[in-house]
Amino acid sequence: MNFANMTDYHHFPIYAIMVLFLGAFIIAASGGKPSKNPNNPAGFRAWIALIATAASLCFLAALIKPVMLDGEVIAYWMGSRGISGGYAIGIALEVDALSLFFALLIATAVFVSAIYSIRYMVHDDCVPQYYVLYCLLAGGVLGLVLSGDIFNMFVMVEILTFAAVALTAFRTKVYGALEAAFKYLVVGCMGSTAILTGVILLYAQYHTLNLAQLASLIPGTMNNATKLAFAFLYIGFSTKAFIVPFHPLAADAHGAAPASISVLISGVLTKSGIYGIMRLTYFLFQTMGLGRMQFMLVFIGSVSMFVCVTMALAQHDFKRLLAYHSISQIGYVLAAVGLASALGVSAGLYHAMNHTLFKGLLFLAAGAVLHETGTTDLGKLGGLSKKMPHTTVLFLIGAFSISGVPPFNGFASKWMIYQASYQKAVDTGNIGFLLVTIIALVTSTLTLASFVKVSQSVFFGQLPKEYENVKEVPFGMRLAMGILAALCVVTGLFPKSVTALLTEPAAKAAANVGNYITSMGFKTSLPAVEVSFVEAGVWEPINWLLILCIALLGVTIVAVAGKYDHVSETTSENVETKYQLFYGGEENVYSQVGGGDLFWGFKHNWRHYFDFMHKLHSGVVNDYALWAVVALALAIVYMMIAL
Amino acid sequence: MIQFNYICSFFLIVLGFYTIVTKYNLVKTVIGMSIMDYGVNLLIISIGYNPGGTAPIFTAGELTRASYFVDPIPQALTLTSIVIGACVTAMSMSLVIRMHETYGTLDTREIRRLRG
Repeated sequence: MNFANMTDYHHFPIYAIMVLFLGAFIIAASGGKPSKNPNNPAGFRAWIALIATAASLCFLAALIKPVMLDGEVIAYWMGSRGISGGYAIGIALEVDALSLFFALLIATAVFVSAIYSIRYMVHDDCVPQYYVLYCLLAGGVLGLVLSGDIFNMFVMVEILTFAAVALTAFRTKVYGALEAAFKYLVVGCMGSTAILTGVILLYAQYHTLNLAQLASLIPGTMNNATKLAFAFLYIGFSTKAFIVPFHPLAADAHGAAPASISVLISGVLTKSGIYGIMRLTYFLFQTMGLGRMQFMLVFIGSVSMFVCVTMALAQHDFKRLLAYHSISQIGYVLAAVGLASALGVSAGLYHAMNHTLFKGLLFLAAGAVLHETGTTDLGKLGGLSKKMPHTTVLFLIGAFSISGVPPFNGFASKWMIYQASYQKAVDTGNIGFLLVTIIALVTSTLTLASFVKVSQSVFFGQLPKEYENVKEVPFGMRLAMGILAALCVVTGLFPKSVTALLTEPAAKAAANVGNYITSMGFKTSLPAVEVSFVEAGVWEPINWLLILCIALLGVTIVAVAGKYDHVSETTSENVETKYQLFYGGEENVYSQVGGGDLFWGFKHNWRHYFDFMHKLHSGVVNDYALWAVVALALAIVYMMIAL
Repeated sequence: MIQFNYICSFFLIVLGFYTIVTKYNLVKTVIGMSIMDYGVNLLIISIGYNPGGTAPIFTAGELTRASYFVDPIPQALTLTSIVIGACVTAMSMSLVIRMHETYGTLDTREIRRLRG
């Protein structure tokens, strides 16, 4: 490695992180005085943030060739202090295909959101400080995924948690923003503490903090202390990924934060949690070969999928609804990654990428609606397609993508997830994995239903009188949405190229841990693994017939279950004329079908479930903290038994 | 007697969890988070301790194979962790102040506009 040459691509990872922190520093040092320009209150600081994120993205894009295509693992020791006496004494950046994959996702989302922020934040005060926190958040997440030192990962987790909490509370006047930030801070800190405890327990056992060295030492020497460390680390990263049982925090934080930050929380922070879990299970502890470990990840992923999509159906706030969908999609990612097959990992990462793109697009569209109308309440909006045609089209692209409608990217990755879980069921003969396929299908349907409701109540239907003067959003905001929409379409139209370029190298990296360890200069006995991405069996028509039958069975069960409630329906609900056959409907001709009314039948049949879930998500911070403690306790017990 | 330190540190972490879960006052929640931090700090510093070791400060040439000292890395980690803990306290207290202005109460059971 030639350190004298500053343009050597081995330096690019640290440049990519540094420009963001440098940007944060320069913006902070330039003071908080807002500029005179009403269209850009942050003045040149917004451009600094934009340039920093663009530079970061360029540095990472330059790494695609050596890391993704040539399969190199970049080992970068800070200050050239590397390995001495077989022990890592320096702090390293370790960039393999998996790290780079997540880093590219993050850099893209951060860059697009920075474009959007310039015009979106015009109504706010303290916008210069917003960009400081913005760059800190971006730098923290990028540092987390590129770091090769587990303690550094903890520090980066803390930086990103702080920045995210501060940005959640940025609009302090927004309904519930402070509360959301505080809940996030409390549970997030419990997670960070769990990560630190796990790190230090590992250090006590192995006297090193380097990821590659830990990966070479831990497997085969698992004792109760390392199992405890694993449980702590797992729960810590779960809080960052917002998977069940930490999903209420995500909903609160997304709803209150500015839309440009919601993009980062859903597209970037959750990915950092998923990255942490993957690094933990595939690399450090190499536990993914165990059936119990696969079961745990797939189970939690499936529960996240289903619980969050049903929670989303019951929401009345645009952004809160999107937040629950976001975690539901993260459930897909986790379940696919937990399959521990090459196809599964590739599918999961592909969906992670698509999630960043379409979820970012949807949040930006929600932000555009909020920017023009001042509300995200589904009951108050309507008919905006006449006033905001571009936003509507862009929103629909995002909605089709998330619902898995071909040819958009959500379809391609969900298709791969169905195939991967089905393939896993065929390979292992375990019927449980087939259940995952079905849950994924049902969740996808419910997602579609939910987005029909959103489009209906926001963009179509009757336009309320107070929004007669609503205009289309400025070009800068449409540009950001347009980039994401274009990426949604492109990644959906060419799934084979995208997987070959980005996700398959990352999946190979996850399978070839030995290569990762030896590239960093440590010894390992792990053999090189040949990886193939076969999709055999799934295309056979007989299997599709089988799935169709199962789906029909599911529909029948739902239909039959629905009938049981007809008796009780007559007692209270029919008193309202609204729901009467032929005579029902809204009295006021100008009121539209609201978000809550569209699926009232479904929600009525499931009312016990929804009541139960509503009571469970009480909004009291103590309850959420209790869930975290219970999850930690369960994780410890499960790890002690399973590993 | 280093085991006593380990027991105490986990006791402090659990005490912090207990405080956060059972106390309905926001300030007490913040105190619980601090206690949790102190527990982890105690754990880190205990792990680096070698009975009878000297301070890990050497000039060039002084360090030999026979040198016996406490592990310096956990001390550096503890310093980082203490700084982060101070930031957590500062940030959460500022949020608590703003929430008290907005909601007029510090009771977590009443600060629940976002739910369901």
